Amino acid sequence: MVEQHWPAYWNPKQETLPKEELHALQGIKLQGHVQRAWQQSPFHRRLYESAGLTPDKIKGLDDLRRLPFMTRENWMACQAEQPMFGDMLTRDVDDAIRYHLTSGTSGRQPLRVLDSRKDWAWIAEMWCYGFWGFGIRPSDRVFFAFSYGSFIGFWGAHYCCEKIGCMVLPSGNMTTEGRVKQLVEMAATVVCATPTYALRMGQVAAELGIDLAKDGKVRRLIVSGEPAVPATRKLLEEMWGAKVGDTAGMTEIGTIMIFECEQQPGGTHIIEDHFIEEVIDPETLEPVPMGGRGERIVTSFGRGFIPLIRYRTRDLVQRIPHDSCSCGRTGDIYQGGILGRVDDMKCIRGTNVYPRAVETIIREYADIEEFQILLTREAGIRDEITVQVELKPDSAESWQKLEKNLGKDLAEAHEGLRFNLSKAAEGELPRFELKAKRMQDRRGD
Amino acid sequence: MSESSRTGQKDLLGRELSEEEREVLDLYQRLRKLAARSDLAPCISMNAKQAMVMLWNACTDLGLIHEEAEVD
Ligand SMILES: [Zn+2]
Repeated sequence: MVEQHWPAYWNPKQETLPKEELHALQGIKLQGHVQRAWQQSPFHRRLYESAGLTPDKIKGLDDLRRLPFMTRENWMACQAEQPMFGDMLTRDVDDAIRYHLTSGTSGRQPLRVLDSRKDWAWIAEMWCYGFWGFGIRPSDRVFFAFSYGSFIGFWGAHYCCEKIGCMVLPSGNMTTEGRVKQLVEMAATVVCATPTYALRMGQVAAELGIDLAKDGKVRRLIVSGEPAVPATRKLLEEMWGAKVGDTAGMTEIGTIMIFECEQQPGGTHIIEDHFIEEVIDPETLEPVPMGGRGERIVTSFGRGFIPLIRYRTRDLVQRIPHDSCSCGRTGDIYQGGILGRVDDMKCIRGTNVYPRAVETIIREYADIEEFQILLTREAGIRDEITVQVELKPDSAESWQKLEKNLGKDLAEAHEGLRFNLSKAAEGELPRFELKAKRMQDRRGD
Repeated sequence: MSESSRTGQKDLLGRELSEEEREVLDLYQRLRKLAARSDLAPCISMNAKQAMVMLWNACTDLGLIHEEAEVD
């Protein structure tokens, strides 16, 4: 096959659109989207009526902040009132070609979504921006370490790769061992997984005597589903001998809204011709200036079945200007991708602790295989934070030194807060394939 | 659609369409009409719908249209 010379962008016209034009385009799309939501979704009409707003008031992007927020809570409430989908749908259920729901890891009622033919095609299209932008081309062989169930996960990425013309290697119900063997045997060049599961595959490969960096052909790892902290990325790049590209999406959108380009700027570009992303202070609800941390709010133009307008994601992000990357895209960047959940922030004896910041420090230690963070309340008043650490089988000797150094690093990064460290036995701590849950808050128990 | 009526078309930002943009929009509009018909064999209708949504993607990406035509 003759390799064609392709541009670096999936959509050269819009991905490099000057900022003012991008904002004008977003304004035009917003107007149409709000109009349609008002006319066809009782949920949205109710929301706007309660805010005393009519769609004619939305004339462009400057009017965005007049729109009320959509929240997971009001979405769930409408689902509970009118099972199964609430009164949010703009179309008849029979027009749907897909049904997906959230994994419900936190024990809540799952969020249910439907997609039309167009919605589903658009979902794949957004992944195309990301995959193409990270250098995936028709000659690639893409292995999906993904369960292909009701969780939306990499579904759209699968169809994106078919559209690009890659050879798709699905691995729905395979064991980790089976997956590792197949991706090596089939000379997969791209692997898609959560960061945690990509690490797991690397460990299993090592147990099988396979050196992925030498024996495999993987040149790109595309990760999604959980934050990819710098130390994990570094570890993955060494383990796989591949570049790691971060992406993030959510069931509420159906696809990704941010992706890392080939320049690997340490963050992810926003697909701004299909989404409007805002960053607000979750307490005051005021916009956070460029460079500050806050909660991301998303407006998505893609899913026709369920309009998503100013949705509070609870994702913690830090937005920086597009030109901090040299690729030429005009979509701004979330530094470090999704940093965690706004709700994950824990207050221990007056100090804010983000699980992700703790993980970043722990992953600096190559001897650590797995860990868990435990929050407890001693004598009913004093909060304690304990990190349980499981070492790699061949590095048990280094515990005392590691305990001292890790404790010091964690305290220094948290205003001197003391972290208790304990050593777990080999294989004692849980491993994760999908969403990793490494913090347990037992203070209310 | 005749060649003359196709020139002068604008995208969402009011810019003149390029030759290939006119082509892809024209194909989309023709497929949309076909997909909306109810008198066709399933093998025509369903494949036209699938093809239509793919071109809808291209037209939306290029900022030529912003619509949810509901014939999919
Ligand atoms: Zn870039």
